Amino acid sequence: MDTIISPIALYLICVLGAVGIGAALPRRNKASEIVGGLLIAASVGFGTLVLALRASEIEGGLPNFFFYPFAILALGASARMITHPRPVYSALYFILTIIASCGMYLLLSAEFMAFALVIIYAGAILITYLFVIMLATQAPSSASEEFIDETDAVSREPILAAGIGFVLLAILTTAMFRGIGDLPAPPDETLAQESVLVNLPRKVERLLEREGLITNTERLVRNEDGTAAIDVVNRTITLENTDLGTTRTLEADQWPETLTAGNLDRLGYNLMHDHPMTIEIAGIILLMAMLGATVLARKHIELEDDLKAAQARKLGESMNPEMKSVPETGNA
Amino acid sequence: MDMTHSVQLAQLAFPDAVPSITMAHYLFVSAAMFVMGLIGFMTRKNMIIMFLCTELMFQAAGLALIAFGRHHLGADGQTFVIFVLCVAAAEAAMALALVVLLFRYRETLSSQAWKELNG
Amino acid sequence: MINTTLLSNLLAFAPDTHAAADHAVTEIGSGPKWILLIVGLPLLSSILSLVYAIIGNKTKLPAWTTVAAAGTAFLCTVAMYMSFDGTPYTVHAFDWIQVHFGEKSMIANFSFYIDTLTIYWMLFVTGLATCIALYASEYMSHDVGTSYCRFFGAFGLFVFSMACLVMGDNFLMLYLGWEGVGLCSYLLIGYFYKKPEAVAAAKKAFIVNRIGDLGLALGIYLIFVHFGTLEYAVLFSDPTLLSYVESAKTGDFSAIPTIAQWIPLLLMIGAFGKSAQFPLYVWLPDAMEGPTPVSALIHAATMVTAGVYLIARTYPLFLASESALPIVAWIGTITALLAATIGMAQFDIKRIMAYSTVSQLGYMFAGLGVLTPTGGAYHVLTHAFFKALLFLCCGAVMHGFAGQLDLRKLSGLRKVKGWGIVFVGMLFGCLNLAGFPLTAGYFSKDTILAEAFVTPGYSMIGWILLITAGLTAYYTFRVFFRVFMGPVEYHPGDELHDHDHDDHGEEAHHDTNEHGDHHSDHFHPHAPGWAINTVLVILTACSIAATGLYFVGGDKDAHTKHYADTMVSASTASYHSNYGKHAFEYYEKDPEHYPVAGVGPRGNIDKALEMPIVGGDPHKMMYYISGVIGVIGIALAWFLHLFGRTNAAECKMDPIARMFGPIPKLAENKWYVDEIYWAILVSPLRIGSHILHWIDKLLVDGLVNLFGLLPRIFAWIIRPSQSGVLQGYAVSMAGGVAILLLVVFVMVMQGGLS
Repeated sequence: MDTIISPIALYLICVLGAVGIGAALPRRNKASEIVGGLLIAASVGFGTLVLALRASEIEGGLPNFFFYPFAILALGASARMITHPRPVYSALYFILTIIASCGMYLLLSAEFMAFALVIIYAGAILITYLFVIMLATQAPSSASEEFIDETDAVSREPILAAGIGFVLLAILTTAMFRGIGDLPAPPDETLAQESVLVNLPRKVERLLEREGLITNTERLVRNEDGTAAIDVVNRTITLENTDLGTTRTLEADQWPETLTAGNLDRLGYNLMHDHPMTIEIAGIILLMAMLGATVLARKHIELEDDLKAAQARKLGESMNPEMKSVPETGNA
Repeated sequence: MDMTHSVQLAQLAFPDAVPSITMAHYLFVSAAMFVMGLIGFMTRKNMIIMFLCTELMFQAAGLALIAFGRHHLGADGQTFVIFVLCVAAAEAAMALALVVLLFRYRETLSSQAWKELNG
Repeated sequence: MINTTLLSNLLAFAPDTHAAADHAVTEIGSGPKWILLIVGLPLLSSILSLVYAIIGNKTKLPAWTTVAAAGTAFLCTVAMYMSFDGTPYTVHAFDWIQVHFGEKSMIANFSFYIDTLTIYWMLFVTGLATCIALYASEYMSHDVGTSYCRFFGAFGLFVFSMACLVMGDNFLMLYLGWEGVGLCSYLLIGYFYKKPEAVAAAKKAFIVNRIGDLGLALGIYLIFVHFGTLEYAVLFSDPTLLSYVESAKTGDFSAIPTIAQWIPLLLMIGAFGKSAQFPLYVWLPDAMEGPTPVSALIHAATMVTAGVYLIARTYPLFLASESALPIVAWIGTITALLAATIGMAQFDIKRIMAYSTVSQLGYMFAGLGVLTPTGGAYHVLTHAFFKALLFLCCGAVMHGFAGQLDLRKLSGLRKVKGWGIVFVGMLFGCLNLAGFPLTAGYFSKDTILAEAFVTPGYSMIGWILLITAGLTAYYTFRVFFRVFMGPVEYHPGDELHDHDHDDHGEEAHHDTNEHGDHHSDHFHPHAPGWAINTVLVILTACSIAATGLYFVGGDKDAHTKHYADTMVSASTASYHSNYGKHAFEYYEKDPEHYPVAGVGPRGNIDKALEMPIVGGDPHKMMYYISGVIGVIGIALAWFLHLFGRTNAAECKMDPIARMFGPIPKLAENKWYVDEIYWAILVSPLRIGSHILHWIDKLLVDGLVNLFGLLPRIFAWIIRPSQSGVLQGYAVSMAGGVAILLLVVFVMVMQGGLS
């Protein structure tokens, strides 16, 4: 099986991206940022083009058109996030990345996760990050508005890291593209038969009640394993009268339009039915994280007075070199 | 019942599986995001940004999970994104608490200020 | 009375050994369990003393505990003696070592073998231990407290160990006791551990004893290898051993395998070490650094006789060796003469007594060597009493005169008030030691001397021992005449300021700087108290009573002449000399069992009978000869050291000594034996060990350090990678993952994607 896109194109994309990221990472020389940005753009654009061309060659292989803007947005925002010297902007670009990936989630018909991601990630976690950034960063004084702290202004070994990172990307994508062709999509029918509806008899009953297709004395027939007697393929529902003990079948023409299993149904059922223990563990992890964060953040650090003074002096010098020469006359 | 109707229902409940050629697109984006998170983690000295980069890597993993889930027409991929979210949230809470604590010790966010473990 | 046992009739002069086989397999009986008290009580007192030390007892309780324990043990021994019916038996305490491998088995139980030899030894061991514990209760009274507890703890442990040594029913028990007494000896010599001399002496005793103990251990090992047992009862009825002894009696040693002949030679080394025989005697004089009761009990009366006991106990083994007994005899003789000559020139009275102990031990070994274990054992008994008495008298002097032991600084103690009993005790002790006629020491020494003359090939030993007897008389009475007779003059020793005046309530009168020449107006000798005097009286009485043992206790049925003879003859040490008067008398009475004609282990009996001394029977003549020699020695001492002496320091001997040139000086310096040992043994060892030390340091340590250095260099090279920077590790990790993935990917690619 051939690769999905030509390895040469792939490695060219990787090299371009590596050079671009390596150049764009924060450093003293501001000019390289622009070069890096251009290279990254070239890399992303080239990649998009190659992928699009390849997809268009195959019938039905073309992804939704909206994939391309979301992908470009996500990757561009990611690149900007790691290259922007100001932490606040990094966080904001990350929110952009998340929103772009949420778009891709929608394209992958994971609507619930898409919106959950926006709410939890962009709405909660990233806001916490922003708070911490503001807490732990000195607000730049008016005199040095353009000042960027040394920590953020210069990145560490950017060339090496970018090289390693994109070598990793090249290997990953090569492996992926070579292997993914062997991964056939499952046929629809088998999945249709395993419809989640048979596992949700109460939901079906409530819906039938709302539609007026079922009386008070009737209920869905349960099979021995607790599943509802619904034939999803033939669209028939077997009901029984609990008073009379008689059964009747709702035929396909009576199948209500609204009786479908959506993304949320399937997700909820999967979560509760297949992963109950994992939920417990996740709950414990979250609880521990909450306790841990409380304990850690409450810890009171006593700095020695002279050490504090020394640090304050150092901070002042680095922030404002002229202050050294200004004598502190202490005029009130 | 005719088969077309059942297929329609199945299409409602379970949309088409993503063809492998399309999934490769999503996986490429996912891998690229992951690598950029990794590069950010390796290069940026600001501890908050380092943790943001780990969040980016989580995000990349989430995208891959969703894509694979869609490919297999199951809900497991999405379920695991929920857990990824949980872990990310826990990590964010702990990491930020740690960052605040470390910041109080050194009055700086630079990870270079902590190298007591050098040999 | 005591009947013949398994060995006595085998070893007795009896050509027909028809009874041997019958007796050899006799199953040994077991005795009453209360006998265990003899061993247990001293151990209990030792443990109690330790407890007293822990709870901080500041009274004389440990002493009374030890006296009571030792006294009860003595009473038990007496009871054991009274109830003994002549048949040896064992008393089993508990199973100790029982190893079975293949057809052999090594059995060494914690049990005790009771026969006449054991009883004989235990009687004076426990008796003397009781007396000396009582003596020590007063003697050690300056150290009441933890040290006092320590002293009596070691004392009790010593009695326990000695009981194990003497009473044990196998060689391993003997070895246990042997090492135990060695340990106690070490502890007690080093009792004044703040004195460097005491520490050095303790170490010397321990190390010199180790040399002997190695021989003993190897001997025991060979016994087990050759005879397959360590138990006395089994060993001494072993047909192999009996056949060896039989062939030895006919003078045919070729039938005895070499390994069996080596056993006594090795055991002998152990005996030489413990009993301070040449060349391992050097530790004993130095051991006098310990407290005097220790010197009396351990280093004069009991422990040092353990070697004699060992040889007596294993006498059949010694008989079965061609060269063992002659070596024992000659070593004993040389030791006796050498120690006597050194003793003549010493000035420290305790050291003189120490050398006399070495000398008398030499007599005992000579006695064993000239085929009279009876004589050796008898001398052990008499010597135990009179030498303990002498030491305790010296101890009393030392105690009273603040540690003064120099006979040039003490004179005329007889006339000092309160020293009468010490004087009398010293007199009787000296008479015994000098072999003055009709004393116990006279008779026991005569037994050995006469046997030396009648045993073929040993007359030279007899003459040397006779000369030594004269020297002994001289140096013994040299001490007596110098210290106890003559004008009154004394100088306190260097322990003055420690305690003496406190006891008299005369503090602050003494200036420690005025030691020089002060008299009774400054220094009051501390006359011995009731405990010391009581013990001295008891021991004096015992010394006198020991004379009587020469005339009583003989058993005609067993063909024994006197008490010690009877006791020894009924044990494994039994050996009836087939030479001289005994054999002759018995032949007259019982020609069937004691034919004169025949060949003995040391030659032809006819030749033995042709060896009269000065024309008479050796035993009778020896009474006169040794008596005269003893009196001459005493007279010489009187003339040179008392007659006309006006002060403590000078006497007629001094100008005479100068006439001998360097010899007195050499003798005073112990013939430089210690220095010779140092030069030929210690120095080469030191040099060798220094060389080895440097080899170890440079070569071995160097190699080890090199191997240690290699990882350090490697670590120094790779250490910078551990920068401590988090992101450095992140880069390494990501790079590693990339390489790993690449490798896996390439492998998969080559293997094909199937």
